[in-house]
Amino acid sequence: MEKDGDLMQGTLDMLVLKALARGAKHGYGVAEWIHESSNDVLQVEEGALYPALHRLELKGLLAAQWGTSENNRRAKYYSLTPAGRKKLAEEAEYWRRMSGAIARVMQTA
Amino acid sequence: MSYWMRWKSLFKRKQLDRDLEDELAFHLAMREAKNRERGLRAEEARYAARRKLGNVTRIKEACREVWSFVSLETTWRDLRYGARALGKNPGFTAVAVLAIALGIGVNTGIFSVLNGVALKLLPVPKADQIVSVDQVFHGKVRRNVHGEPGLFSFPEYKNYQANNHVFSGLLAYAPFLDATALGGENPKQLMGAEASCNFFDVLGERPALGRAFVEEDCRAPGGSPVVVLSDELWRTQFGADPLVVGKSISLNRARFVVIGVAAPGFRGLDPWPSAFWAPVSMQKALEPERDFLNEENTGWLALLGRMRPGVSLEEVRADLGVIAGRIDQQYSGRTTTLAIHRATFMGRPEERSVVFSIGVVVLAAVGLVLLIACANVANLLLARASSRQKEIAIRLSIGGSHWRIMRQLLTESLLIAFLGGILGSLVAFWSLEGIARYVLTHLPHGAPELMWNVRPDLHVWGYSLGLTAFTGIIFGLAPALHATRQDLSTAVKGDSGGLMRKSGGGMLRSTLVGVQVAVCMVLLIAAGLLMRGLHYAQTVDPGFEMRGITQAQFDLPSQGYTVERARTFQRELMARVASLPGVDQVEQARVTPLGHQWEGTGLTLTGETQERGFEFNVVTPGFFAMLGMPMVRGRTFTEAETQAAAPVLVVTESTARRLWPGQDALGKTLRGEDKKEFQVVGVVRDSQASHLGQTDGLFFYWPAGPHEQERLQLLVHSKGGDVAAINGIREAARGLDADLIVDVRRLEDNLEGWRIPSRIVAALSGVLGVLALLLASIGVHGVVSYGVSQRIREIGIRVTLGADGRDVMRLVLRQALWPVVIGALAGVIGCAAVSQVLSSVLYGMGAHDPIAFVGVPLFLLGVAFLASYIPARRAVRVDPVVALRYE
Repeated sequence: MEKDGDLMQGTLDMLVLKALARGAKHGYGVAEWIHESSNDVLQVEEGALYPALHRLELKGLLAAQWGTSENNRRAKYYSLTPAGRKKLAEEAEYWRRMSGAIARVMQTA
Repeated sequence: MSYWMRWKSLFKRKQLDRDLEDELAFHLAMREAKNRERGLRAEEARYAARRKLGNVTRIKEACREVWSFVSLETTWRDLRYGARALGKNPGFTAVAVLAIALGIGVNTGIFSVLNGVALKLLPVPKADQIVSVDQVFHGKVRRNVHGEPGLFSFPEYKNYQANNHVFSGLLAYAPFLDATALGGENPKQLMGAEASCNFFDVLGERPALGRAFVEEDCRAPGGSPVVVLSDELWRTQFGADPLVVGKSISLNRARFVVIGVAAPGFRGLDPWPSAFWAPVSMQKALEPERDFLNEENTGWLALLGRMRPGVSLEEVRADLGVIAGRIDQQYSGRTTTLAIHRATFMGRPEERSVVFSIGVVVLAAVGLVLLIACANVANLLLARASSRQKEIAIRLSIGGSHWRIMRQLLTESLLIAFLGGILGSLVAFWSLEGIARYVLTHLPHGAPELMWNVRPDLHVWGYSLGLTAFTGIIFGLAPALHATRQDLSTAVKGDSGGLMRKSGGGMLRSTLVGVQVAVCMVLLIAAGLLMRGLHYAQTVDPGFEMRGITQAQFDLPSQGYTVERARTFQRELMARVASLPGVDQVEQARVTPLGHQWEGTGLTLTGETQERGFEFNVVTPGFFAMLGMPMVRGRTFTEAETQAAAPVLVVTESTARRLWPGQDALGKTLRGEDKKEFQVVGVVRDSQASHLGQTDGLFFYWPAGPHEQERLQLLVHSKGGDVAAINGIREAARGLDADLIVDVRRLEDNLEGWRIPSRIVAALSGVLGVLALLLASIGVHGVVSYGVSQRIREIGIRVTLGADGRDVMRLVLRQALWPVVIGALAGVIGCAAVSQVLSSVLYGMGAHDPIAFVGVPLFLLGVAFLASYIPARRAVRVDPVVALRYE
């Protein structure tokens, strides 16, 4: 069943990288950032978020560190590695071209 | 870095688990707090947060899979779990492992024999560069063949050697050279080879002593009588003399100077070891009756080439194909294709087709045994899976993924497969050398000595490993799929022994039993047919008298005898033998009856143009009387006809019937190749003098005149007993020529060679049949026992309602036996289809022998009945009170 706002795997990875571009965040923060930046349109499937974070960490695109959160709890913070930054740039470029192309196709009368 | 994390995940798994727990708990706490902010009550806020996150167990599992060295870590856990599960059920484990060990063991054993005979590369350095080249002719072919049809003539070899661009060297050798060696106490019969002078260089074999051939050795025909000995001949004939180089040895009465001794590991390029190698230029000295070097259209040489580095098989095929095309232009209507392969033993097309046709049948048979074993173990697993239904259902309902549980179950079956595979392979390797030695020492008289390296190599280990893994998945997959696809609610409630419940696995189990029975039936009927064939071969009456007859065989032409010398030798030998005490008749024949030698020629019926192929023998007039073959019409040859080599012949009864149906064969004529006309003077009763169990070929006899003397063998009838006659004949021959090897044996011994193949096949199929029967009856027994234990409650109720023992027995047996009956029917039909394959070894017996086709199924059904009767009796004794309380 397709719901509005569901995210595909590859897209989720890209959004996670984007969410971390401005600095480290914990998992909950990533989910919230995506939700808010999309003006509440995109809902991250939280069940898929954590395996994705761990996968990206294993691929060396993210680094993780345990820290203390704003409400004084132990939390795992993720940040981009240089490889992650490079990957984000590539994904963004690819996305820009694809969405532009799709938009042009859709506009054709 | 990430590898470090993976390794860390292996060893610090508790730490990582805790971290994951914290991470998710933190997430839930944050979400809950946010929900509270939005005005939800505490309880609601928590539930909403959980709902949003989803199944925590599944997320954890997904994350673990991400970090663990997925397979390594989980596999290790699955293995430990599987080993524990198997250990808890030692009876089940033992039966399953043994069944698989039997199945894998016979398969591995047979494959390593096949590998040793025909798949291993030649035992020479860089053997993967060596290719064998053989010819296959099409169209109008007239060619003289010495050995096998794919061999090359010497001029052809020279042509390929000079004009190819792909080999760093191309060698030729004659694989079938018999030679008598003199020098020891007795003359000795050896297998050797004439070889091109680059033979050892191309193979990369350095002699252990002395030198190999050089080009000068092959320069002029007959010019260089030198020989390289095998290590074995050097030890037996020369006592491992280190100064052997320069000494001489007599081969077929020509003297050869020893120039070298081959390395101990090198015994030639065929399964029969070569005792010596002489230059190809010495062919006429070794085989005085033939002169092959100048014959353009006589095949006698096998070709092997070493490819230049970087050359592919395809390039070799293309390059040599051009040369073959050029040679074809000399022979109108003939085209030649070349068979080019990496060189192995038994690599020539004729040998290959024999090895592979036998190999395929045998591999199919042992594959069927393995199939039965697999069905058996699958059934055991199914039965066990249903008793583990509850455990699996609980794991599934608390969020274990289907894939994880299936992998767990498959790991268990792979564990069984590997235990069985290793056990079976080790037993196979251990016993195989012994079996091979036994078979090789029990080959019929006159069969060449064979070397047979059945030791396992990478091929065999790979085959065994692959087969084991395949087996584990095959027998594990159906039960695993079945187990994970169950209805959770009923399974968790433990309603497994339910009343009248149609168990979903029942159909699958019955199918598996049916398959086992069908396959078992095929194997047993095949075994039955072969056993009957063996019995027939042991007792068959060949249609002529063998008792009291002794045969003496010798090869005069190869020993340099001219026709005149041969005539003198034969006359004196016959006179001496005739005067031996007890001997009352001495006759001559080109080939002795059933002696595994055949002569063939083409004759044309007067009035026809198409030539027909005949087998023939050349015999003295008294031959027919001695062997008890009466004349049906006409007479045997007269002495005058024999001496004058008159153009007359005697045909067999069935030949006369086929050529001149409804007419009198006497006086009819046949035309030979040189337009000579032969007249039929007699018709002799049919007998199986040429092929055991076969009389229907076209067959005739020619008189053994003076020009035939060099090729004739002796047949002697005596009343004085075999041993006396054999010794007397040997002495008489030795008195005339001490250096001639004379093979003297009872004529009856010729039957042995005909019985060996069917004896080996019958023994093999008997063993396989017993294995199959054992496995199948274990299977039937297991399934019926399980069925009874599952239906105890139902049976209890039936008994309470008044069913008596007979009703219960009928109920259980009917259920147990219908898959058996269906399987048996399928097996009989299947076997009727494949039995034609076997008919080639069933001497004179139809492939649809009624005893095998009726007796075996009845026997198998009896065994199946017994296997189900034992558990069924348990059902009859069910106490209804106990049964109803059973759960």
